[in-house]
Amino acid sequence: MSGPTQKIPVYCYQCVAGPDLLKVIVRDGVAVGVEPNADFAEIHPACGKVCVRAYGLIQKLYNPNRIRAPMKRTNPRKGRREDPGWREISWDEALGLLAEKLNRIRATGLVEETGYPRLAVTFGSGGIAPAYLGTFAAFLAAWGPVDQGIGSGQGVKCYHSEHLYGEFWHRAFTVAADTPRCDYVLSFGYNGDASAGVTGIFRHGEARVRGLRWMQIEPHLSVTGAGATEWVPIRPKTDAALLFGLLYVILHETDWRKTCDVPFLETMTSSAYLVAPHGYYLRDPGSMKPLVWDLERERPVAFDDPKLRRPALEGTFLAAGVELGPDGERWSIADSVRPAFALLRDHVSTYTPAWAEAITDVPAATVRRLAREYLSHAGVGRTIQVDGLTLPHRPVAVLLGKTVSNGWGGYECCWARTVLAALVGALEVPGGILGTTVRLNRPARNRLESVRPGSDGFMAQPLNPTDRARWEASPHIRSGYRTLVPLAADSPWSPALSPAHLPWLFLDQPPEHWPRTTFPEVWIIYRTNPAISNWETGRVEAALERFPFVAAFAYTQDETNWYADLLLPEATDLESCQLYRIGGTKYMEQYWEHTGFALRQPVTDPPVNCRDLTDIATELAERCGLLPAYLQALNRGAGTGVPLKRKYFDVRDPPIRPAAQEVWDRVCRAATLSLTGGKTELGLDWFKAHGAFFVPFPIVNYYLHPVMVAQGLRYELPYQERLKRVGEELGRRLHERGIRWWDAQLDEYRPLPIWRDFPDIWARVALKHGRRPEEFPLWLLTSRSMQYSWGADVSLPVLAEVARLVVGHFGVMLNRRTGLALGIQDGDLVEIESPTGRTKGRAILREGVRPDVAVALQQFGHWATPVARDLGMPSLNQVSAIDLDLTDATGSGADLVRVAIRKV
Amino acid sequence: MRWGMVIDLVRCVGCQTCTIACKQENGLPAGVLWRFVADSEVGEYPDVRRLFLPMQCMHCVEPPCVPVCPTGASQQREDGIVWVEYDRCVGCGYCAMACPYRARHLIKDASWHFPGQPTPAEQATAQPARRGVMTKCTFCVDRVDRGIARELRPGVDPEATPMCAVACIAGAIIFGDLDDAESPACKLIKERGAVPLMPELGTNPSVYYVTE
Repeated sequence: MSGPTQKIPVYCYQCVAGPDLLKVIVRDGVAVGVEPNADFAEIHPACGKVCVRAYGLIQKLYNPNRIRAPMKRTNPRKGRREDPGWREISWDEALGLLAEKLNRIRATGLVEETGYPRLAVTFGSGGIAPAYLGTFAAFLAAWGPVDQGIGSGQGVKCYHSEHLYGEFWHRAFTVAADTPRCDYVLSFGYNGDASAGVTGIFRHGEARVRGLRWMQIEPHLSVTGAGATEWVPIRPKTDAALLFGLLYVILHETDWRKTCDVPFLETMTSSAYLVAPHGYYLRDPGSMKPLVWDLERERPVAFDDPKLRRPALEGTFLAAGVELGPDGERWSIADSVRPAFALLRDHVSTYTPAWAEAITDVPAATVRRLAREYLSHAGVGRTIQVDGLTLPHRPVAVLLGKTVSNGWGGYECCWARTVLAALVGALEVPGGILGTTVRLNRPARNRLESVRPGSDGFMAQPLNPTDRARWEASPHIRSGYRTLVPLAADSPWSPALSPAHLPWLFLDQPPEHWPRTTFPEVWIIYRTNPAISNWETGRVEAALERFPFVAAFAYTQDETNWYADLLLPEATDLESCQLYRIGGTKYMEQYWEHTGFALRQPVTDPPVNCRDLTDIATELAERCGLLPAYLQALNRGAGTGVPLKRKYFDVRDPPIRPAAQEVWDRVCRAATLSLTGGKTELGLDWFKAHGAFFVPFPIVNYYLHPVMVAQGLRYELPYQERLKRVGEELGRRLHERGIRWWDAQLDEYRPLPIWRDFPDIWARVALKHGRRPEEFPLWLLTSRSMQYSWGADVSLPVLAEVARLVVGHFGVMLNRRTGLALGIQDGDLVEIESPTGRTKGRAILREGVRPDVAVALQQFGHWATPVARDLGMPSLNQVSAIDLDLTDATGSGADLVRVAIRKV
Repeated sequence: MRWGMVIDLVRCVGCQTCTIACKQENGLPAGVLWRFVADSEVGEYPDVRRLFLPMQCMHCVEPPCVPVCPTGASQQREDGIVWVEYDRCVGCGYCAMACPYRARHLIKDASWHFPGQPTPAEQATAQPARRGVMTKCTFCVDRVDRGIARELRPGVDPEATPMCAVACIAGAIIFGDLDDAESPACKLIKERGAVPLMPELGTNPSVYYVTE
């Protein structure tokens, strides 16, 4: 590829806020730069821009520290101080070695005696791996049982409770504000100006100029806090208390009949459903439908009674019916019952602003002000025209960031946030909070289509069964999500959203009545570095020494592939080919007015001996005798997301092994045929020239509201009757097996969540390790770095050069006065000690940090990755613990640790 | 005609995309940045604000860097762009001393991002003429001039606009003719009350900031 200057269109998906579109400038065969793809400036929500990390792609391509050819380990001993003794081998030998191991599994059985698959695969980087995996997922589909639940931090350290509860309540894998139509945001640590990509940041900027008021509530002043109207410092892990305080103010200090959206509560939620003495809905004995109290007819009627005009939201009523408990238990009831909304009001009646102040350190007056500002901006009763449809307009949103929306307290925060939206009707309507995509529900490509009628007037939910007949007593993979976490569902994404840290924890000390956690016979890892990205990296590394065979797709040497047996340098961003879905609504704040597909393609000859992952997948399929199944998987769209049309692969014997370009040509054609209803068929060459193909996507499809109304469905809020039943059943199942170690998690299944002393859960870790909580007076937190999130950016000097300009990189941030009180000056080397570990870093003294907080950005602590190992960046993961006590009912934890910091 | 820039601090998120795009566009070696976004704080806890402030050459109407140059290398064009004629520059640093915005950078010698050899991209974009001389933001003068020659509109058409403005993901950097009252840059100054940095110095910068 030499000659004059070319500009080659590709996409960048180095974070989940993509893909974004760019052009690579290639001069005389050398890629010399990137630029926004102005061809799509009118289509892309941020005018076709790409973020700082896309400008690192050129250095990523030519990084001299790349793994330059397949490598085989020659030193059988594994350890940090053991040189792997890499020996360069051919691709033929490398894939032959891997196929030999895989075929041995096929010969002995795909699943071992414990019930766990013998093959495990871990993809890092959350949702971005599929944009680079080529057709590797089709190989896995052809393979059979694979354990994808050995975590690298990607599932349990994400917005985990938001993912699981968000999909449950409103098909919101992630939750975003409808920023262009929103006037007031309460942001609890949501750091979208670092994490929401160019589309999010562009929307935020536009909204700020328009006058959006953004209240940033967080322990340290983040990048997003910089642009906020106001910063409200809050004690770590007390967000639920403030949210409960907001509910109190709205429900007890205002006339909720005037300030809230009563019609929304009555018709779009379960607020009117009557709750009977056992805590379950009162139901009609015949239809088993939940009952509500009809104020006009003064008797209970089914929630969907067409004559119902005035359901009661308050009061106590004497009524008869049945309650449906766990495992089909039924109770005939003739007793006092109350609407769920009345229980909600009672429930929050002790969460006063003064109570919240004592816990959160946010003044009671501020709690009241925030609640009243929220109400005053909600505009209950207002409407707006969207695509010719009249919809409610509720320009208020509550957003949650990481650590707020995962781990203990995550459920409480997600519930309170969603109830706050429901109270004013700001759920899934213009201006309010919206889901972005679904990953647990199906179809993944369109969350609106995932809305289907279920029981009790709510959406159908794909929960893992907890009844005696169908509950999975023996975990099918090592993280056991089908056994422990009903909300994790069972989609292809569920393993990654399972308690993926538990395999590391249970390796040598399986809990009672739980199958022994074994090492997979073969572990394939891709774009993942759990020795850095997991909690308690020391534990992870100790385990890595014992994996029998690890094949690592490898960019550079890193802390995890140091322990691998085989390094496979796959073609990276600008060297390989893939078509990927783009547009519509997706993750973070991807809200487009178009939807389509974009191509990533090789822009120049690779500087190393790498191979396209699609070609690797195809060859592995052939070497494992799986080519027909692999081609069938491609025909049905496994791995590519696009079922083929017209041009199918012939799977008759002997099937022909297609090259990557042939695969993607067929995918391009199927994708365009699919988008245009069969009218347009465009092949790979067209995409190589043009980069992407779009069709319009209606704005009205951002909102669930019209679909819910059309299907007569309600949001399962505020009362969590179903989860109460599920939790009760799960507890019974576990107890029937003698499992008591999940009891703390079972306590989370409450119909109305309560405040518990969440910070104390972390403080008590010290006691388990023979230390006193007061020895660790500070909280160590982490925060997103836009420059360093995902990708392989830690190994790129150019990103280090610009990241250094964003304060917080390459050190640990401390409040200035705290630092000085500890005798620490700016730049001093400090030791950070937790009950389970120590690390070091340079002190960065700042004013925008609470006095009881320290902040280490992102995830570092590298010792093997070139460039990164010289950054001297401390990492929370080095001092955090993998601990069942820190694991919530969804199976997640949170990034915070109690620490002591002292000058070295 | 007076080329200038308006930077909207309400939009800026300090992401450094402009910083790295400038570096790429101008083939700058490791350690040299012609522009950057300062990450600063104002006030004391808890009454503190975090402020991102993009910094670069202000292309002053009265540039203090020009008259102090002993060789005449430091010059100003009629359209306001301040630039350095590398062949005449001896790297003495007087201009750097005179510039109150610290916008002048001496490139001592070749320096690559990775130890040893340059990457193929660094090799292809290296600028040997800049070694040993003072360098600075040029408002991407080559893009502007090439664009005008192609009858493109600087500040409107990306190919004729400085790369920092093209790259900015927040739409915070607007380039345009400050003598044209109808240019987006001029309108922004008027409508949102943009101000230059340190006007009291009398340099009359061509870079304005929108602060609220």
